[in-house]
Amino acid sequence: MSGVGAEQSRRSHQLTDRVAIVVGGASGLGDAISRRFGQEGATVVVADIDEPGAKAVADAIVADGGNAVAIACDVTKSADVEAMTTAAAALGPRIGVLVCSAAIESLTPVLDLSDEEWQQVLDIDLKGPFLCMRAALPHMVKGGGGSVIAMGSTLGLIVAPGHPAYCAAKGALLNLCKQAAIEHAPDNVRVNMLAPSATTTGLFMKHSGKAPDPDALRAKIAAGMPMKRLGDPNEVCDAAVFLASDQSTYLSGAVIPLDGGLAARRIV
Amino acid sequence: MDVVTIAAGLDFSGLLADKVALITGAASGQGRAAALLFGAQGAKVVVADFNDEGGAETIKMLEEQGSEGLAVHADVSVRVDVDAMVDATMERYGRLDVLYNNAAVQMSGRVVDCTDDEWDLTIATNLSAIFWACRSALPHLLAGDGGSIINTASTLGLIGSEGYAAYGAAKAGLVLLTKQIAVEYGPAVRANVIAPGSIDTPRFRKVLDSTPGAQDFVEGLKRTIPVRRLGTADDVARIALFLASDLSSYVSGAVLPADGGLAVYR
Repeated sequence: MSGVGAEQSRRSHQLTDRVAIVVGGASGLGDAISRRFGQEGATVVVADIDEPGAKAVADAIVADGGNAVAIACDVTKSADVEAMTTAAAALGPRIGVLVCSAAIESLTPVLDLSDEEWQQVLDIDLKGPFLCMRAALPHMVKGGGGSVIAMGSTLGLIVAPGHPAYCAAKGALLNLCKQAAIEHAPDNVRVNMLAPSATTTGLFMKHSGKAPDPDALRAKIAAGMPMKRLGDPNEVCDAAVFLASDQSTYLSGAVIPLDGGLAARRIV
Repeated sequence: MDVVTIAAGLDFSGLLADKVALITGAASGQGRAAALLFGAQGAKVVVADFNDEGGAETIKMLEEQGSEGLAVHADVSVRVDVDAMVDATMERYGRLDVLYNNAAVQMSGRVVDCTDDEWDLTIATNLSAIFWACRSALPHLLAGDGGSIINTASTLGLIGSEGYAAYGAAKAGLVLLTKQIAVEYGPAVRANVIAPGSIDTPRFRKVLDSTPGAQDFVEGLKRTIPVRRLGTADDVARIALFLASDLSSYVSGAVLPADGGLAVYR
């Protein structure tokens, strides 16, 4: 299966009875997942620090016939996260899905990495998902179960020079997911990770766009992938729906690499 | 002190002769055991800890075995302390060859019960502190003739478990950070991880003393460890010596479990 395109045929209404929070839903993969969840019938909470961006995504979901609201939320602030989660819980019978997709990428080697940059990456990419899980898990338990999807990265499994803070945060996030998966396994709450690599949206496009010749850089990176191409956001959405839906009810504490085989080249 | 014994024809003494090793958390337990073993192998040892009394005791033990050391007060969760401990090392010895990040704080708590303060302190002590120490020490390690960074993670940084949300996350982050450093500074500096399992140290005993049914707990724990015993601080120190010395000159970015097989069995 190519995994690319054919969005209309994907509507199978697998998420109709649940509220799905997508943190970082205003852009990149979070945006794509929000829209797909809307098509699948979920009541989507598009939570993001970028309120106009979140509103644009929520409006697009509604215009497409779905249900969605935008909530402004800084994932590094526990009060914001608590308030967002409480508001989300009031929107439907249960919070069935939490996607932690808010992240920043830092491209600074150890010796040049400032305290501030280190802390900011850890706060957004690691503490953010922790705060979201801590706030949402009790609601999921109360509702009889749920699915947490953390957006990791190939760089949480293997490393590449120049990403110390990002790698450390994503590596830590994977273990946090496993911890939460074990702690809430008896509650029918599942916690899994998606680990995309270079995908034609979001952080990758943003950072590669800063190169002198972005297209050449992207082509070079694509050529280095085992599948000789970049990932498509729809492929990430497919996996997110799988994890969010009742198709994956016995899957927890797992990481699904969405990297065209890249991580398989090295010890994970 | 056990000295590492030997295949015929190889001299396994003085493995760290003329080297300077900085060990955090060296006032007790695994850090102290490594300090004494490194000292016995010829290293000058900088004993960094926030427990000044224990640090002084480690120095006394080093001197009693004929080794040389320097005690430095450092709370590794405080960035300026971390920089100061590296500065003190350079001021006294003018070089740094081995950085052994052993200090850690262990707080248990499930995700939903972990407070912001517990999270922040655990991440600072067990992850950010190691980043700070490496950033501070790397220029000196790079200036030498082959440096070694040894970072202490944990079995709980390799596998998931219950009740160690922040601790497990920090230790797993540390594994990836170490691999990053191995890749970034590969030509001159090696960086590796030790992942201890259940090690019988004073801290372990302290936790045990406050646990009801401690003996049953320990017996149950031993049944989950393939070698059927708890680890000792010396078990871990020997692995650290391997990583600190040229015995491991082609090992970098590796994770060595010091767990009697726990992580593969559980």
